[in-house]
Amino acid sequence: MTGKTARLIFWVGTLTSAAIFLWQTYDFHMQTPKFTHTDKLNEQVVAGKKVWHKYNCNDCHTILGFGGYYAPDMTKAFYRLGENNIASIVQHPDVMYKNSFRKMPQLGVSETETRQLVSFLRWVGEIENRKWPPQDEKFVEAYKLRESQPQKLDKVHLVLQACGGCHTFENQGRNVGGDLTTIANRITYDRQTLINYMINPQSVRPGVTMPPQDVSPQTAGIIADFLLSLKSNKEVSK
Amino acid sequence: MMLIEYQSQRVSLWYFRIALVLFILQVILGLWLSINYAFTLPQDLVNVFPFSTARALHTNLLVAWMLLGFMGGTYYILPPECARDLYSEKLAYLQLAIFVGTAVTAVVGFLFGWTQGKPLLEIPLPLDWLIVVAALIFIANVAMTIIKAEVRTALQWMLLGGVTFLALMYLFGMPFYQNLNTDYYYWWWVIHLWVEGAWEVVTASIVAYIIMRVTGVDRKVVEKWLYVETGLFLFTGIVGTGHHYYWIGAPDYWLWWGGIFSALEPLPIVLMVVDTWMHVRERKNPIVNPLTWYYIIGLAIYHLVGAGLWGFMHTLPPINYYTHGSQITVSHGHLAFFGAYALLNLTIFYFAMPRLKGINKYQDRLGKWGFWITTIGMFVLGLVFGIAGILQTYLERFLDIGYSTAHLTMMFWFRVAFGVGLVFLAGVIITVYHLFTIKPSAIPAPEPVVAPASDI
Repeated sequence: MTGKTARLIFWVGTLTSAAIFLWQTYDFHMQTPKFTHTDKLNEQVVAGKKVWHKYNCNDCHTILGFGGYYAPDMTKAFYRLGENNIASIVQHPDVMYKNSFRKMPQLGVSETETRQLVSFLRWVGEIENRKWPPQDEKFVEAYKLRESQPQKLDKVHLVLQACGGCHTFENQGRNVGGDLTTIANRITYDRQTLINYMINPQSVRPGVTMPPQDVSPQTAGIIADFLLSLKSNKEVSK
Repeated sequence: MMLIEYQSQRVSLWYFRIALVLFILQVILGLWLSINYAFTLPQDLVNVFPFSTARALHTNLLVAWMLLGFMGGTYYILPPECARDLYSEKLAYLQLAIFVGTAVTAVVGFLFGWTQGKPLLEIPLPLDWLIVVAALIFIANVAMTIIKAEVRTALQWMLLGGVTFLALMYLFGMPFYQNLNTDYYYWWWVIHLWVEGAWEVVTASIVAYIIMRVTGVDRKVVEKWLYVETGLFLFTGIVGTGHHYYWIGAPDYWLWWGGIFSALEPLPIVLMVVDTWMHVRERKNPIVNPLTWYYIIGLAIYHLVGAGLWGFMHTLPPINYYTHGSQITVSHGHLAFFGAYALLNLTIFYFAMPRLKGINKYQDRLGKWGFWITTIGMFVLGLVFGIAGILQTYLERFLDIGYSTAHLTMMFWFRVAFGVGLVFLAGVIITVYHLFTIKPSAIPAPEPVVAPASDI
């Protein structure tokens, strides 16, 4: 091989690759609106992205698979956790991870910032990225199913969606706030008090760590019925 | 025999010294990160010094010390390559002062939450501009030295091209992108096109120079290989960026282009190993310092295994679907950065630092200990992260077990990683101590048979 051939290999190799890459970059920008639904990329979402950067979330959490590997991937977090759970975790990590081996810092994220962050994560969750990460796909499917067929909602499903971020039931959900079966047997509330409790816990039990739940009174009613049914079942079996 | 031909080569000494201190700091913070994984820390400590801050420090120190090594290395080899002193020593020191000042400000800033919040590119925008100023001074100094030189070599242009490419890519990481997929698209223009593009060009040039100087192999032969290697590095590396674009919401063809081109990425590294080996065999000069050879050969082989093979294994789309964003990436990252760039920097340091002190043949017993402890230590560390990663991938992505449960199984492996990390730190301290206090050997060095190629 002569020096001339070597130089030719260098220039042809580098320039071909750069040309392909630049063309793909152009095409990427052309297709990005379709893959990321840029029509839904509003001010609230952009503000949320700034919050994500401000608290350096990405150095513990991965998103789209990139960043720190210390905490879960946030790409589909909106589907996995739901709005209320994300808000509770971000604002009260010390409570939510009280019993956890892995801690999240109390960052002092404000109420407004939390709402912006949730909007950002909701928008990120909708990016069409070939169903990645694989382990979160079931949450995405479940969310879409619930959204498309509200009339077919199973009660257990509903309760786990609303409460499963903190409470466990039949070994499902996250055990921060206790097992729903145990709670059902302990509480003395009637149906209306339970509904009030869900919507504004402080109004029923001042000082309780449970955050207010963003559920409609109808949904709260279904959950209350479900909880009370757990209680009566136990009493009958005794 | 003169050991350094030009007084201005001395500016590199301070670059090397600061780089070595930052290297030790980086490893200490790495150990702290493994403690975070291996044990449950109290909430109060997590609130004050969270994992994210420690990680920002660990990764930024890596970038800082490696860039200092590259810049110092460039300043060291440029005068003999150009057969003249640097354009300006003062500019070189000014650039060092700006760079180090910015780095210190950034580190202190991280502790108080002053961050841009982008992994590896955390330093805030005002500091970014200072880095740009330092980079411009560096490029101007290098370019002026080359322009004013009487001799023209391929290596000069390759080096200038490499460092300009490096600086240019940094600019893409600076703006705020509204869209997350676009943000990551350009984030990789910095990170990937650095490590699999610009840094490889700088590495290939520096290795070519050192091989030429030590072996006395003809310049024409070395430069021919240099062209072919960098050509292949850039050919595979540029489109190979696509292996980061599989799951960010990008068109389908990235799977093919990214997959095929990154599968080809080990090729230039294989070529580099073969090339190094051939030159060692065909050398005309006797081996003066075997340790420098340990580092050159170690660099070539480790580069191939850590960056080439480990990278190859998990950039194929069907595998990457499961391994992306897991501890397997951590394993690959550690082996690749150590194999390709930490060893490269140490090769430069071992080549240049004794010469800058006027030592031709040095005592290398401690240095050999350092070499074996760090190289074996990092290899074991890579394996431990790999085991943790396979566990995580299997539990989380195949068995669909929750993130925390999967991570619980890794705590044991991170305790092992902490232990291995301590051994690695010991190796690094030995190496740095040896470099700082290097002494001439009692045995005289054999005379070179031919003059170093750059004198021609």
